[in-house]
Amino acid sequence: MPATTTLPTRLASELSSIVGPENLLAHRDERLVYECDGFVIEKNVPDLVVFPTSTEQVVGVVKACGRAGVPFVPRGAGTSLAGGTLAVGGGVMICLTRMKRILEVNARDRYAVVEPGVVNVWLTRALAGSGFHYAPDPSSQGACTIGGNVATNSGGPHTLKYGVTVNHVLGVELVLPDGSVVQAGGPEEDHPGYDLTGLIVGHEGTFGIVTKVTVDLTRDPEAGRTFLGVFETVEAATEAVSGIIAAGIVPAALEMLDNPMIRAVEAAFRFGFPTEAGAVLIIETDGLDAGLEREAQSIASIVRSNGGSVAKAITWRTRKEPEYMAIWKARKSAFGAIGRLSPTFCTQDGVVPRTKLPHILRFITAVGERHDIRIANVFHAGDGNIHPILLFDERDPDQVRRVLEASHEILEECINVGGSVTGEHGIGVEKMSFMPRLFSPADLAAMVALRTAFNPAGLCSPDKMIPGGAGCIERKSPGHKASA
Amino acid sequence: MLDLSPPVIETIALNWPETSAGGVLGDGRSASATDRPSSLEELCEIVARRVGEGHALYPQGGATALDYGGIPRRPGVAIDLRGLARVVDYPAADMTITIEAGMTLAALQKTLGEQGQRLTLEAPLADRATLGGIFATNASGPRRFGLGRPRDQIIGIRYVDGEGRAIKGGGRVVKNVAGYDLPKLLTGSMGTLGIIAELTLKVRPKPEASALAWVRFRRLADAAQALDRLNTSGTRPVALELLNAPTARKVGGGAGLPVEEWVLVVGFEDNAASVAWQLDRLTLELGRTDLVFLKDNDSAPLWSALVDSQADEDAPLTFAANLKPSAALVFLGSIDAARWAIQTHAGNGIVRGHFQDEANFEEIAPEVDRLRAEAVRLGGSLTLPRCPTGWKDRLKVWGNPRADWAIAEKVKKALDPRGVLNPGRFVGVI
Ligand SMILES: Cc1cc2nc3c(=O)[nH]c(=O)nc-3n(C[C@H](O)[C@H](O)[C@H](O)COP(=O)(O)OP(=O)(O)OC[C@H]3O[C@@H](n4cnc5c(N)ncnc54)[C@H](O)[C@@H]3O)c2cc1C
Repeated sequence: MPATTTLPTRLASELSSIVGPENLLAHRDERLVYECDGFVIEKNVPDLVVFPTSTEQVVGVVKACGRAGVPFVPRGAGTSLAGGTLAVGGGVMICLTRMKRILEVNARDRYAVVEPGVVNVWLTRALAGSGFHYAPDPSSQGACTIGGNVATNSGGPHTLKYGVTVNHVLGVELVLPDGSVVQAGGPEEDHPGYDLTGLIVGHEGTFGIVTKVTVDLTRDPEAGRTFLGVFETVEAATEAVSGIIAAGIVPAALEMLDNPMIRAVEAAFRFGFPTEAGAVLIIETDGLDAGLEREAQSIASIVRSNGGSVAKAITWRTRKEPEYMAIWKARKSAFGAIGRLSPTFCTQDGVVPRTKLPHILRFITAVGERHDIRIANVFHAGDGNIHPILLFDERDPDQVRRVLEASHEILEECINVGGSVTGEHGIGVEKMSFMPRLFSPADLAAMVALRTAFNPAGLCSPDKMIPGGAGCIERKSPGHKASA
Repeated sequence: MLDLSPPVIETIALNWPETSAGGVLGDGRSASATDRPSSLEELCEIVARRVGEGHALYPQGGATALDYGGIPRRPGVAIDLRGLARVVDYPAADMTITIEAGMTLAALQKTLGEQGQRLTLEAPLADRATLGGIFATNASGPRRFGLGRPRDQIIGIRYVDGEGRAIKGGGRVVKNVAGYDLPKLLTGSMGTLGIIAELTLKVRPKPEASALAWVRFRRLADAAQALDRLNTSGTRPVALELLNAPTARKVGGGAGLPVEEWVLVVGFEDNAASVAWQLDRLTLELGRTDLVFLKDNDSAPLWSALVDSQADEDAPLTFAANLKPSAALVFLGSIDAARWAIQTHAGNGIVRGHFQDEANFEEIAPEVDRLRAEAVRLGGSLTLPRCPTGWKDRLKVWGNPRADWAIAEKVKKALDPRGVLNPGRFVGVI
């Protein structure tokens, strides 16, 4: 059943009375910014945008949509790189950014409870000085919301040692599409029953609306060492990555930038990256100071034995030290720096077994050459999670086509070597066509059955993540409609 | 579109077998037969056939926890997974391993140990307990405080559903968000959503050094104060176990460790320099001169004893309460420490008590009610991992119903619409 593109006016006034007129956007020019998220290839303007400020309002909104048979889609900060927030077929967009309170911080029991619109870095800031932090730190942490992180099971540069979002979420409050409210998990571990929290994290908004999140807090490391390793080639850098892992070291972070990326970051930030290097590695270990020195020496010698050099070695006590902040600002702003190279870019998010990194990077280079597309790489090397950034001009349909083809080939190769098409950005609308490559019809049927258990009418974020099932709007390809 | 409706099969009314010749299901129930598949294909074939015959299915691993959970509700066959015990893929440099679910934890650790690695997960009776069983029951041990729970180790799963189809979730790479997280959902699902056949797990390098510190207290309040202090310690313990005297005697007796009313065992693992520094620092922070340290090989027996003591085979009844760590300390104050052997994962708020006397229902039932009420008052739950079959219904092994069980039942219907997998075992009507 294709969704309507024009909303019943009764619904608009009903929603206005639920959230208040100041928390609703009806005019098309106001709604236009909500036509897409960080995935810009496909766009569609939602028919209405609401900003509820409480769980009760969310309940009211989904119930009203349900009665009217109108689809709705949750949205946080809209930094999704997979089109997770795309209002496929129109409908109501539910923006959680005005539910932004940190409700509780309990350091003794090591948890915090937040509303979904709390920006990731706000929690980090609120915890500063407490001796604890919230571990998941996606590169977009200055903008993305914890609700969005929970929906996409976000990662970030420090997942190698500390795990991803699901490893740090203890409980969620979820408003189901029928308006009932589920409390899964909580500050206590091991509640009897299924690990619904574990299932809900990573649902990409297809189960309902997350309205509260209980996260665990991690002790701050006492100290750390962060190195900038410089290599002539990407191969040498990936060999060093394998060497570090093989030495039994589990670094807090192992991030790689290739030459095009180094140049872009250097042009933007003048951090002091060597622009002639083939690749740089940011290698970080943290923990107790007493244990770090020897690890630091091993790392330095592994870098050297792979033909690299240590251009910087930062010894830090807190993650607030200027040199430390500078290096991570450069890393986390890498996507921003790309803006200088190209009007538009498309970031891919493949994963390969760590040992297959040299292969996949050679493959990416070859694909770029074959399709005449410039590709820069900045990625979580320690996890085998690649982020090739394909540069293009979205006004040129031929370039768009070549970028899509190149992306497709790269992700196919990730599958061929035993990996996945997404390590942290999600399937969204972008990668749905890959799901049948990763999963059998029976696997997908099980996932559809799960979605149907939560979202039987399919009104909540239809046509995302899992192809097939109820509420399916026929889409010829992971559509690439031009901007409206 | 995919057809989701199960094929229609005549439900054949079966009777419970009168002897245990076909095997046991647990809780005194006998199996109609025990099947022993030796491959995934065979497992699929058996499931389809047995369900077609009208049987319910009761997967089994090392049979270390057959009496755990509710009472089997329908006659059926036992499926012994121990024939599926191969390493499927072990790319050590990727720090992952894929294994079949019938492999024992001890066998897995041995394979990993040869590459200087380990799974950071513990379970009682490791030489019998299988990985499938450990993940199905969400078992863990003291190291869960620093090194995580089963859900933190699993990245991929293959299970067989009640139609005999092999279903896959997750993958073999450490980061992967394609599809719903079936590995997490199946973890702790008590075999009620699928028969776990294969698991992909994250593994870690073995630490260079390991140590346990044994700290005695006369009064619970002093132990609680030390734990408050350790929450922001300069050290980074990987385990914090608080034991009362009966448990302390049992786990420490062999090593001749001195026992008082309460003993706190603090575990450290890291490189040698770090562990040595942490032991010094702990002494300083607690301001004590009577700590006993067990280091490296000398600590191994105590580490294992702390894991095995979680399953006290002699106790007639065991409870487990899950609370916030600070609330767990309050809860401890309400337990009669002379009658219960208590072990607390103090960093995680999990309290286990094993009843030490002869079990007498008239006496124990109100005691369980009282403790459960206290756990609930403090925000948690109280389950009974061990309980005589005849008492299970009255004592509610899974505790008071929780609001999220309604959606759990929908999840069960979605993945096992005919209710053939371990019927009766888990919460609510699951
Ligand atoms: C520059 C840049 C760097 C990035 N770096 C990383 C990185 O290092 N690691 C990483 O994992 N990701 C990264 N991302 C991707 C993105 O930031 C994450 O996916 C983030 O979690 C999205 O949060 P958001 O608040 O922007 O969510 P949105 O983009 O608004 O939404 C994302 C998805 O979550 C759903 N959703 C949002 N809120 C809710 C809710 N309350 N309830 C239910 N569903 C909800 C949406 O429907 C959508 O499917 C990056 C993105 C950018 C632009």
